[in-house]
Amino acid sequence: MSPQFVDFNHDGKLDIVAGTFDGSPHVAYGTDQGFKQPEQILDHKGERIVLNQFWNFDSKKWDSTKRSDAAGNTLPNGHCTSAIAFDWDQDGDLDLLLGDHDSGHLYRRVNEGTSTEPRFALVNVPVLADGKALHVAGTVTTPLLVDWDRDGLLDLVCGGMGDAYSEATGGGVYLYRNTGKLGAPTFAAAVTLIEPSGKGHVGGPLRPDSGLYMDVADVDTDGDLDLVVGGYSHWKPKPRELTAEEKAKVAALQAELAKVNAASQATMQTVTDAVKGLDEAAAATKRGELLAAKRPELSALGKQRQSLTEELDPLVSTPQRVSYVWVYTNTTVASAPAKGQ
Amino acid sequence: MQTRSLTFVAAAGSALFVSAITAQSPASATHAFAAPVRLMAGKQFLGEKRLFPSPVFHDVNGDGHRDLVVGDLRGHLTVALRVPEGGALAFAAETKLQDVDGKDIDFHNW
Repeated sequence: MSPQFVDFNHDGKLDIVAGTFDGSPHVAYGTDQGFKQPEQILDHKGERIVLNQFWNFDSKKWDSTKRSDAAGNTLPNGHCTSAIAFDWDQDGDLDLLLGDHDSGHLYRRVNEGTSTEPRFALVNVPVLADGKALHVAGTVTTPLLVDWDRDGLLDLVCGGMGDAYSEATGGGVYLYRNTGKLGAPTFAAAVTLIEPSGKGHVGGPLRPDSGLYMDVADVDTDGDLDLVVGGYSHWKPKPRELTAEEKAKVAALQAELAKVNAASQATMQTVTDAVKGLDEAAAATKRGELLAAKRPELSALGKQRQSLTEELDPLVSTPQRVSYVWVYTNTTVASAPAKGQ
Repeated sequence: MQTRSLTFVAAAGSALFVSAITAQSPASATHAFAAPVRLMAGKQFLGEKRLFPSPVFHDVNGDGHRDLVVGDLRGHLTVALRVPEGGALAFAAETKLQDVDGKDIDFHNW
């Protein structure tokens, strides 16, 4: 999720709007004493706002619906995991933009009510860029609105998720300039602000490689817009020549790690075997009981695994994946000619 | 409409921005970034080891300086307050953002 500080209910206090992995937008209302706990933003029928995929809190399963698809929609199923409020049509109330984690599109949900009495429509309208459904390579982390080119219209910046778990291409950050007018935004084709990462760095963390969540501000107050970007860095420590003693140590640690992994798997297998043949509800209950009973054992094995891995990592150049927040300082302003000034 | 984004626009009031009008391509004319640098919060890296950290600027304590709020996949938020005397990129250690009753803010999740 990516938080947006915005006065969603127009009471003069900032609220926090965010989409979460459950598939819906939420708002934490601000009061004079602080924020309340978040609640879901609902459509005018009182139903959850979703794209297609969502976590069903009643059945406790992932679910999918087509009820919010606009007529004639041909885009693949979407999963809303990010949301920002934006008065798209300049009618005085805040509409929603919903980012799609599954297939990389962006949708808007129109507020047909007023700033204090919102009435969200029942369908999602795809946002276009260059006349086509906007599509973010590597799927959307979050959208953001900022007047990047200082023409008085809010432009759109989208982060890309990319492959956050292995070595496939990571995420980038993209700018879509608003070439429309106030109340009728039109977005141009994407301009790449940060190239998607090809990963494969050896040595140490070089950049956010995947899951790029960004915000924009003139951080260094030099007159241009900088980026702060959260994300996972993927790298491999530089391998080095091992001494005979170190090689023996690696072999011993790896053998020990294999034993720990085998013990974990064997424990999990006893749980799987014990619930075999039971119906779904009974199996879930039994599995929960058995796992609770075996938690101390599994936890001890987990600690052993962590400790062995920490000893092994500096010796064998295990791929690393750690999240950080980075700043990208914009160096344009010093060299760029001023427009109309 | 009040949005965080508009705050940035005001903050960047002296920006001298050029768009697609020069002979250069729009991409090269509007941005060029230095190699990224990891931000610190106190003595630790900001957002380190969080699940999909999502930083946003917001002046949490109303001192006129943009602090950083970091969300994550689990729906939790932390605040790293700007330390103005430390320079533009100095932030204090992260603390959890809490609600009116002193409980951690928790965006619903699966």
